[in-house]
Amino acid sequence: MNLGTRKILDRSFTAVGIGSIVIMGIALLIVIVPIVYNGMGSVFFTGTIEHRNMLYNEFGKGNRDALARENAAAGAYRREIYGMLSRFEAELETMEPEKQQDLRAQYGPVRTALQALVGPIPGDPEAVLTRYRYGQTRWDKAQEKLHDFLYEARWDYSDPNAMAKEYFVSRAAGFEGTSLVKLFPYVEKNLDRILRPEFTVYWGFLTDSSVDSHIFGGIWPEIQGTFFLAVGAMFFAFPLGVIAAVYFTEYARDGFFTSMLRSANSTLAGVPSIVFGLFGLAFFINTLKVSESKSILAGSLTLAIMILPTIIRAAEEAILAVPRTYKEASLSLGSTKLNTIMTVILPAALPGILTGGVISLGRAAGETAPIIFTAAVSVGSAIGLADVFSSPTPALSWNIYNLASEHEAAAEIRHVQYGMVLALVGIVLLLNLSAILLRARISKKLKG
Amino acid sequence: MKGAEARGLRYDSGINTTIMSEDVRQEGARSGAFVVSARKRKFQKLAKTVSESALLLIASFVAIVILFIFYFVAVDAIPYFQLRGFSEFFTSTEWYPADDPGEFGALAIIYGSVMVTLGSTLLSVPMGIAAAICLSDILPFSVRQYAKPVIEMLAAIPSVAFGFFALVIFAPLLQTQGGPIFMWAWWVLAAPFLLLAIIVFSDLLTAKIEDQKKRQKLSGVLLAVFGIGALAFLYWVGSVLRGIEIITGTNALNVSIILSFMALPTIVSVSEDALQAVGRELREGSYALGATRAETIVKTILPAASSGILAAVILGVMRALGETMVVWMASGNSSHIPEPWFNYLEAVRTLTATIAGDMGEADQVTGSARYHVLFAMGLLLLVISFFSNLVSERIVVRQRKILSGQ
Repeated sequence: MNLGTRKILDRSFTAVGIGSIVIMGIALLIVIVPIVYNGMGSVFFTGTIEHRNMLYNEFGKGNRDALARENAAAGAYRREIYGMLSRFEAELETMEPEKQQDLRAQYGPVRTALQALVGPIPGDPEAVLTRYRYGQTRWDKAQEKLHDFLYEARWDYSDPNAMAKEYFVSRAAGFEGTSLVKLFPYVEKNLDRILRPEFTVYWGFLTDSSVDSHIFGGIWPEIQGTFFLAVGAMFFAFPLGVIAAVYFTEYARDGFFTSMLRSANSTLAGVPSIVFGLFGLAFFINTLKVSESKSILAGSLTLAIMILPTIIRAAEEAILAVPRTYKEASLSLGSTKLNTIMTVILPAALPGILTGGVISLGRAAGETAPIIFTAAVSVGSAIGLADVFSSPTPALSWNIYNLASEHEAAAEIRHVQYGMVLALVGIVLLLNLSAILLRARISKKLKG
Repeated sequence: MKGAEARGLRYDSGINTTIMSEDVRQEGARSGAFVVSARKRKFQKLAKTVSESALLLIASFVAIVILFIFYFVAVDAIPYFQLRGFSEFFTSTEWYPADDPGEFGALAIIYGSVMVTLGSTLLSVPMGIAAAICLSDILPFSVRQYAKPVIEMLAAIPSVAFGFFALVIFAPLLQTQGGPIFMWAWWVLAAPFLLLAIIVFSDLLTAKIEDQKKRQKLSGVLLAVFGIGALAFLYWVGSVLRGIEIITGTNALNVSIILSFMALPTIVSVSEDALQAVGRELREGSYALGATRAETIVKTILPAASSGILAAVILGVMRALGETMVVWMASGNSSHIPEPWFNYLEAVRTLTATIAGDMGEADQVTGSARYHVLFAMGLLLLVISFFSNLVSERIVVRQRKILSGQ
């Protein structure tokens, strides 16, 4: 090969390497950006009057007088709609049976779509579920519901070889010649006067409990549950891990026993997380019976076992990074080994150990599989500190799965899901960031 | 090496203390501040023994936990095999645990696990090794400082967040825009490699020609001819890919791609360690002989670090195999072997997702085959992870020995 080609090969080799790192960076961005953007939307969004009514009724938040004024202003337009509906219903009674039946069949979905948009219509029986007591609380959702109200979705199966295509038919066309036909343009034109959209900052998303399984309200029970689980796991794993690391670095002699312990450590690090969940169920709950059924305690213990190897490894590295001269100076002054470890080595290694601890805390907060069978429930209120031994808890990681995959209205509450994901990713990445900064400071300090 | 040093140190310090205590005993009366009575010394010794054994006990906690995990998972797994025997689990693809009597053929599920693991490995290993090489040999230190946090962040993102991304963002995208995405990916990835291959190929073909001018001319012609052929090839494959219709976005491919990014950090960091462990001497020797950087890396460093990289790959595979949330949310959870067997665009179901998904219902019937079969799956995963860890650890230890021996 001539030199030119060899150089080209060399350059392209470099390009492949850099390219793969760039791909990783892009992948990170592709994952993070939509989560951050949509997640922010759970706190910062254009809220409607329904949102403010909901906040006032369910959480007692908001200004009563201002809300009453707003409701009065919106009410004028709403009454117009309700008037149209009752006029049409009266008109229906006078029609011949066949036409009446046909129009009634079309009128039902219209009424339902209108209820979803602006809330219950006067004269409806009071809804059992809170979700049916309010209209759309978010303006972006209201736009979607407006489309549902104006158009009916149908599927085109005409081409048997291709997938069916969705198309939309105007609902107004079906009511040609009746009084209801005016309703559609009226709602479309006056929707902002009916719902009164306003830019809203809803910090309550982080501090409120949820209403009607996350249709409204916030994610405080999940945040609290995640906090309890992660801190509980650290409470068990951190002391154990640091002590084990001290043993491995300062006391262990090279030999079969030590190498076996080390293999055990790396094996534990490689066990799939779901197997920890099985173990937690079989051991902590079914055998030890630390609690009747799922509980924070059982979940914390399971998570503790999972993060133990990480803590041991990080602490080992931190202890090994302490300059030997520190230890030798202490020993030469006549200090005992235990004393040296407690007063010289551990304080010097503490920032490094804490870094590992913080990263493990993030891992415990983000892990889902071990808590599925041991601690997590889908719906629940925030629990007190006294209940950690006996009661299960909702947790961010589990509820993200639950809301996205199993919730009956998963597509309706994407903003809540994004908000939860952002909260979880934010917690974990902040913990990791602080660990990275901590480590940078240490390495600066060690360099002198 | 470190162990030996530590031992030496301990030995020295032991001597110091004994000498000191003898001094103290002899001259105890004179140096009043430094008196250590025999009783106190005994007490110290006792405290030392007690504290060391307590340390040992706590350190062996990890080993005890591993034994407990094996024991308790096995205890709940064995009843399944007693009830149903081995053959159905490993040979049947009929998975109807809720029926009465239930059918527990896990072959399709095991195959699903293998499929997504293999897919993610194929994607992550080349990329991971390239990134590791780049981090250890190519990038200057200042850039590396910014590249490392990217990898660490990728490792830190919780798996459920990846799962959410796969389900809510990636799956619909794949379903509606799958064909164009494939085409673009093909062009972006394949075009540079094809161009490179053409250059190298025409260079090799003309290598024998002595006359410089003639050679350049011929290689230019070859480049043009191959270039047009390659363009046609790129376009043809691209249009085929563009025509692909994807029935469901929650499929094996989706999961494989996401899993590969989850396994990448492991592969990169472990193989970077392996590459760094290859000393400077080998690199400098190769450069001194006139090799370019790429040649040095491919012909010298990669072979020397190959076992460490193999260990990295094993760990990456385990990460993908053991991952639960992403596959549970985005693999489609349909227990069948795709048709044809390599069709990554069909929904699959994996071992981890089955354990996670079925336990909620099986929990109510503790003691039945339906409950124990999930533990059997857990045991299978546990055994696989145990052996692959053992193997990768042996590999790393051996490599360290070989490299330090040089």
